Amino acid sequence: MTDIIQASGITRTFGKGDLMIQILKGIDITVADGEFVAIMGKSGAGKSTLMYQLSVLDEPTSGTIIIDDVDVVTLNEHEQTAFRLNTLGYVFQDYALVPDLSAQENVMLPLLMRGQSWPEAEKTACLALDAVGLAGKYKNLPGQLSGGEQQRVSIARAVAGKPKIIFADEPTANLDSVSGHQVVELITSLNRDSGQTVVMVTHEREYALGCNRIFHMEDGLVVDVEKLKS
Amino acid sequence: MRNFRIGLLLGFRQIQRANIWTTSLIIFVMALTFINLIAVSGILVGLIAGSERALQEKSLGDIIITTLDNEDNIINTESLVRQLDQFPEISSYTVRYQAVGQIEANYKTRRDFSQDPNIVSGRLIGIDPEAEDAVTGLSKSVVEGEYLNSDEDGYLLLGALNIDRYTAGFADITGSLKEVYPGDAVRVTVNGNSKEFIVKGIVNTKVGEVSTGIFIPERELRRLGGQINRDAQEIALRLSPTADDQLIKANLVALELDAQAKIRTFEEAIPKFIVDIKNTFNILGVFIGAIGIIVASITIFIIIFINAISRQRQIGILKGIGIERRVIEIAYVLQSAFYALVGSLIGVAITYGFLVGFFERNPIDFPFSDGILVAEPMGTLYRFLILFAITLVAGFLPAWLIVKRNTLNSILGRKS
Repeated sequence: MTDIIQASGITRTFGKGDLMIQILKGIDITVADGEFVAIMGKSGAGKSTLMYQLSVLDEPTSGTIIIDDVDVVTLNEHEQTAFRLNTLGYVFQDYALVPDLSAQENVMLPLLMRGQSWPEAEKTACLALDAVGLAGKYKNLPGQLSGGEQQRVSIARAVAGKPKIIFADEPTANLDSVSGHQVVELITSLNRDSGQTVVMVTHEREYALGCNRIFHMEDGLVVDVEKLKS
Repeated sequence: MRNFRIGLLLGFRQIQRANIWTTSLIIFVMALTFINLIAVSGILVGLIAGSERALQEKSLGDIIITTLDNEDNIINTESLVRQLDQFPEISSYTVRYQAVGQIEANYKTRRDFSQDPNIVSGRLIGIDPEAEDAVTGLSKSVVEGEYLNSDEDGYLLLGALNIDRYTAGFADITGSLKEVYPGDAVRVTVNGNSKEFIVKGIVNTKVGEVSTGIFIPERELRRLGGQINRDAQEIALRLSPTADDQLIKANLVALELDAQAKIRTFEEAIPKFIVDIKNTFNILGVFIGAIGIIVASITIFIIIFINAISRQRQIGILKGIGIERRVIEIAYVLQSAFYALVGSLIGVAITYGFLVGFFERNPIDFPFSDGILVAEPMGTLYRFLILFAITLVAGFLPAWLIVKRNTLNSILGRKS
């Protein structure tokens, strides 16, 4: 399999002078197309910061990141936005849904932005919501859904446009154990069935057991790569 | 177009899901701002417009014909009047003769000749009572006594500002008659000729030309002044409601009547000081309105800023998932547009549905006019466009400030 993510020499520094802190200290990482990887580590290890670099939400202080053959570090803001829209999908820790939009409209939003017509986006959103087990809750506002359901809407939004890579930033952090397992199982099945690359940050090892590899981080460095399955 | 459509969806849903009381309050503020913008300048201008209207109704008519600058009379008035009769659009006209004279009252009961006589100099206006009433409704301005009859001699109407009880002190400079009532005899002197008249009535309006005048039948004024011909000083024309005053004037000029007299429409004859006051009030209204607009735009700015800053993380996430900045800015601008539009529509409804009619029925009692609310549609549209444009800018600026922040910082709630 080809590498869809190739990151080398990634550093990320915050602050200036005496207050300067280096969170990432030179990370080399590759993720193969269709792979499901997890990034684990203690608080402050730099796992979320690494994910923000890989998911084009932040720019590294130094290093290169090639995603799907595009050097994303060199893109301007407008190009980065378009790249995120067309290539990446996101699942955030606190669902990050637009509270004024229904579940269906939340899923439709990036589809409309991609240029789908309204009926086309509606249809795609319904299929995505059906796939995450939310048939019949299309018109519900986020506030009318449980935490687990909201996270499933978030997953539906991330996958509806069939992005090449899905980034999930601690998607189970705000969920109870049952919902957490359901969400991880959903992400795993998406990876398994659709072949989409998934990069997931998590604290808890039990949620990472379905991954191909786990990157263990400590003090801004990847200290171990644990291979679970090929 | 795609950005606008998605921005519309986001903006519309934000309005739809917003707290109804908050939305109502914002719209209420916008409606008040709009009314402030229309009504303040409208009332200020209306004070003068009321004066102009009164001047048109009670003195000048729709077209006023006066003497040429170097003449004492309208040249060959009778032939000119015959021409006027040919115009069906002229529904009525009144020919006025004017002279300066003296009026003395209580001269029969004066016992102490060491005291000043009860006398005043005044502007005598000779009229055909019926014709004058048809043009200016002078009979409706009689506040004491009765109106003149065309077929009787020896009576006159006194303008109220010639009598001390109506002048409340401010006519001390010009003087006024004391203790004169309908039924009293007064002596009128013109060109050294005197005649006794009975005060038949007292007329009072907010038009100085009427309230300072002394009206007597035109034949008596001509006789008193020793005028043999019928050359008058002024002819006021009342046109039918559908007639165009400029067109009628042009037709009169085409007949070369402007060689005999000065022909002006009502607007052209408005005294310059009234036009100056009107322009000053207009500027004052615009100034006060501008303050209203600034307050409204700051209100909208704060509302949108608070709205956007409280959704900063959501904005960051929207950008994160690939929604363009422009879409989010459009959403907020559309919200502002909604507030401005609905507020202005309510303002328009209140202004035209209630305020204009209210002030028409209950004009403001101003010393020289009955003030109305002037709200011309074009002026209203102009003000609406200004308010709308400024509101859009006030909505765009805070959205732009928030949306331009670093995406990740917005998501994490970090300061940029």
